Amino acid sequence: MKTVDIIERIEGEAHLKLDWRNGVVKDSRIEFLNFRGFEYILEGKAPLDALVYTPRICGICGQAHLLATVNALENLYKNANIDLEVTKKAKLLRELGLAIEILDSHIKWFYMFIMPDVASLSQGKYKDYQAMNGSKWLDAIKVASDTMKGLAIIGGQWPHTSYMIPGGVMCDPTLLELATIENYIDQAIMFFEKNLSGVSISDYMSFNSVSNLDDLRADLKDFKDLSFEHGLTNIGKSYDKFFVISDMLGFKSGRIKLINAGKINLDKIKESDEFSFDAKDKKQNKKKYSWAKTVKYDENFFETGPLARAMVGGRKFIKSIHKEYDDSVFTRVMARMDEMAYLLQKCKRIIKAVDISEPSFIKPKIKLKDIYYAKAVGSIEAARGSLMHEVEIEKGKIKSYNVITPTVWNLGPGSKSEPGVAQKAIIGSKSLKEATITLRSFDVCSVCTTH
Amino acid sequence: MRIKPKVLWFQGITCNGNTHSLLCANPNRLELFLNSFDLIYHPSLTTHSNLLDIINSNEGIDFLLIEGAISNNTDFFSISNSSTKDLLNKLVQKSTYVVAVGSCASYGGIHAKFELNEDITGVQNSLDKRAATRLKHKVINLTGCPVHPEWILQTLFIVKSHGKIQLDDENRPVEMYSTLAHHGCTRNEYFEWKVESDHYGTKEGCLFYDQGCRGPMTKSSCNKILWNDVNSKTRVGMPCIGCTELDFPRENMLETKKHIGIPFETPLGISKRAYLSLTGVAKTFKINRLQDKLIKYDD
Repeated sequence: MKTVDIIERIEGEAHLKLDWRNGVVKDSRIEFLNFRGFEYILEGKAPLDALVYTPRICGICGQAHLLATVNALENLYKNANIDLEVTKKAKLLRELGLAIEILDSHIKWFYMFIMPDVASLSQGKYKDYQAMNGSKWLDAIKVASDTMKGLAIIGGQWPHTSYMIPGGVMCDPTLLELATIENYIDQAIMFFEKNLSGVSISDYMSFNSVSNLDDLRADLKDFKDLSFEHGLTNIGKSYDKFFVISDMLGFKSGRIKLINAGKINLDKIKESDEFSFDAKDKKQNKKKYSWAKTVKYDENFFETGPLARAMVGGRKFIKSIHKEYDDSVFTRVMARMDEMAYLLQKCKRIIKAVDISEPSFIKPKIKLKDIYYAKAVGSIEAARGSLMHEVEIEKGKIKSYNVITPTVWNLGPGSKSEPGVAQKAIIGSKSLKEATITLRSFDVCSVCTTH
Repeated sequence: MRIKPKVLWFQGITCNGNTHSLLCANPNRLELFLNSFDLIYHPSLTTHSNLLDIINSNEGIDFLLIEGAISNNTDFFSISNSSTKDLLNKLVQKSTYVVAVGSCASYGGIHAKFELNEDITGVQNSLDKRAATRLKHKVINLTGCPVHPEWILQTLFIVKSHGKIQLDDENRPVEMYSTLAHHGCTRNEYFEWKVESDHYGTKEGCLFYDQGCRGPMTKSSCNKILWNDVNSKTRVGMPCIGCTELDFPRENMLETKKHIGIPFETPLGISKRAYLSLTGVAKTFKINRLQDKLIKYDD
């Protein structure tokens, strides 16, 4: 039996095609049928205009795209052997914007996208998690909105500011403004302590063993109870291989293929379009079924995102949960929420480290337009994982632009012989609900996946 | 109109930025909106209904809100196996008011720059005759990339109480789009006295002369109704990129096009002669306070 379902509440839409045998999913396909052609749009544009375009790839992680663009553009200078100075202050203010945006994304994902589905597994109980009508949904939107005010203090607005630019940042916050951002972060910490974990953030950060799951209170306890009750600890397992592209925000770049973390080499990242549509081909080959591409590192599929960051970076609580429950839906969700605690504290450290007497921006000696030819890569960690932008400029214009999003790593088609990361996780599901929850556990962003 | 008018949010070709902008509304205002209107469908928010069921039902829609550009070409874009144009027209048939939320829905915006798909445009241009003639109120365009959440809420609340809203030549509500992004900018004094910001990353100086700021030519209320309740781009130091105007996105958005050192475009409705005369006079004065840092910290 084959089924096709349209999945919503994933930042866009995807089609989930499942092949069932005896009530178990034997094969799965995730089809992303919408393509907006950002890479084509950028061809021929002025290099700096990319700062306005790329945040608009995605309404929820635009700052991640902005920072990837800035890194790529700054690396153009480096590759053209032109010195470029960026102050520590500017780097910190960029990281702060990225961290706040990831926090917003994690809060919204938990309460808007995955908990309504998980809570509905228990009919009747946990009504507070209902989308729109549940009190927890509204509380989450409120704290997400307030947290974002912190980013607006340095970015001017969110979504879609372009306050980062080669050479630094456009803003110049005062101490009062930095204190205000810290106030918003403290409010988010209060939410984490009261609504999410039910324990103080310092107690939470001291958790280092799977037995600490018993110490959880509040909404994470509800999630844990629901997960045990409905077997989310057993579903959604994939390759158990992890990839982190950047050291930004104190994450550790690297990969885990078997047990130990190893270093990465960007040249080993290979994209293929065996199953992906070709924008310039009117008659698509029958094999092709999605706008998402396939991406592998050193011939292997790797999962990227908060679970990968916790594993490569060695977050003890999550590693201990992973030891017990592998790369299941439960572990994946816990890793994403665990990252909130880490990032909230990281934001406070970033704010403290900003020296307002430093310049925010140092004008590059040469304009990008005046570099005859250069090619460079920018890579960062976004809410959903590793993000890479590749840019090539010639005669003052963008010659080519390529974006590899985290969701391509996790949700792209497999190869001829192996399924992709999420495909593999879905195979073995015993119900559509199980398959959907597994798909959601990757924090699907359809708009980023195809861009 | 119903006590709680029914609102349906449809997504065309979009980044979901307007959805996230709405979610960033002042939390009390968002709650008031959810209590005052019945949001029957939003692809990212609601769970109880799906789009095709609503289209096939007899249920009427009071406010159809559209985020994103529209196209008839399903090779590149489809929602629930139909083109966005087809779904849009079916929805308009059931709707009393149609609101294009954001620049993409208003005129195609950034997505219309994807030239391999020649068929990307805004809501107004996508309506078939039957749908267009049925509407008693013009399509309301809320331009902006993204649109400010208050512009959406205020439009809905005004139409809910008065049944109509006055629009400008681009079908945007006059009350939100008659003033300029420049109005309320904290850098206005630098503009008056022609003190430019020689580089990014400062609170001092005006961004109109070098950084490409479109504040004096862009109709929007970004500096009157602040973003995320707290700020605006130009206040922090990012130039206005004119995202509420129909020529967005333009070329070279982060630099000012100049002719012999003078901005090529002058503020809206100000002749070049008037602008140059005033600039000439202002520039003859060196005002120390405006050359200095605004805030001086002890070392």
